[in-house]
Amino acid sequence: METKPFAVVSAVPPYGHVICSEKWRNSSLVQSLKGGGVKILFENELGVADFNLPNKSSILYVSECDIIAGNSYKRKLVRYRNASSSFQELVLVEKTRLSEQYFQAVQTFVVFDLGLSLLPVSGQSEASQFISQIVHGEGRDNPFRRRSSCRLFDPLVLTLIQQVPGVGKVKALALLQNFSSIHQLCNATPTKLEAIVGQVGAQQIHSFFHKHTTAGT
Amino acid sequence: QTLPATSSASSTSVCILVDSRCISSGVELMTCLRQKHAATVHVCSLDNSYFIVSNRMAVERHSQSDLATPQNRKRLADRVKSLQGLFERVCLIVEKDRSKTGEASRPLQRTRYYDSTLAALVRTGIRLLWSDSAEESAGLLADLAHLEQRKGQGIAVPLEVKGQHREQALQLYLSLPSVSYAHALNMSHNFRSIAHVINSSIEAIQKGGCMSRTRAEEIYRFLRYSCDSFFVKAAKTS
Repeated sequence: METKPFAVVSAVPPYGHVICSEKWRNSSLVQSLKGGGVKILFENELGVADFNLPNKSSILYVSECDIIAGNSYKRKLVRYRNASSSFQELVLVEKTRLSEQYFQAVQTFVVFDLGLSLLPVSGQSEASQFISQIVHGEGRDNPFRRRSSCRLFDPLVLTLIQQVPGVGKVKALALLQNFSSIHQLCNATPTKLEAIVGQVGAQQIHSFFHKHTTAGT
Repeated sequence: QTLPATSSASSTSVCILVDSRCISSGVELMTCLRQKHAATVHVCSLDNSYFIVSNRMAVERHSQSDLATPQNRKRLADRVKSLQGLFERVCLIVEKDRSKTGEASRPLQRTRYYDSTLAALVRTGIRLLWSDSAEESAGLLADLAHLEQRKGQGIAVPLEVKGQHREQALQLYLSLPSVSYAHALNMSHNFRSIAHVINSSIEAIQKGGCMSRTRAEEIYRFLRYSCDSFFVKAAKTS
């Protein structure tokens, strides 16, 4: 058991910066990050994570060696997940010709068992490209972000009523003028409907709403 | 304390709905799903080409090169956003581009667009899965469906409706806002009639449609929404 209290740094780096675990100091990844204009802050107490990024995500790097050497990386991944920091946790996995054969197993473990996000990279240079994209892209508009659109219900109600067989746009609008909601229309008596769409139409609409749809009835 | 055997869970068949547009590009994948993973696959007409693996999860399948150019990203973004409106969870299977026979497979040139697209997808909570072939993609789809089934989210009703009236009812449910094909199927099988849905409480809609509370609330409000008389008049004259 870990007795030493963890003084894990959970600071969000300032814009354009990456907080990086001390062990990466002389790596090619960090060299090319610097080349890409990313400023690096080294930190000894980053916990399991390798990098903290300004968009509040952290990265754990699983190298080809880790994968081929076996199971200790799994323990690291579990600790990473259990750290449950306020950061979004990403896992970069080196997918090379040597580690390729294990990739699906690693993916199953990371995504299905631990529920973390996994991104394959061919090596440290691709990883640094990806990290600098995140760092430089911070503040840019996310094209996948869904804005809660306040849709108008009116046209949708009209479309739904036209799903009733025999009801086109003209009848649908005439119905809406008398019964302003689907709920009202559904619960209208055939007599009331008759005045608008005639006897046959009224029967048709009423039975469409009330006819049983479940099997065996 | 004995845990329920996971093997029994994985041996039961899973249900997957597939859009008809997936067929032309996915014969190999479908065959694999049916034969190797014994999945019940039902082809239907969804509003775009994707897979439904549970009551709350949709899966899109894209080639790596789809993510690498700005033109494709716009289209991808529109599709992902519309799926997010219908499903609680959206997954993307990123499949390696198939190389032409005889051509050596060359690694994808990672563009900056590719990296920023991935970063943005992850940021939005889209789950990414990686595959090297149609066969692997089939395996991932089956795994997702099994996982969802274990969490009690699997599609538990028959994947088709029989008879003209039931088919019409299904189409009506599909025109409700934020209702996916899976929700509509559940409603078709779990409610006595269309009027039964319309007169149900939020709780009953949530339960019968196998959907989230907020979705059921939206449907409930929609069914009681009073159309503006101004809208009706304007629509009449147009």
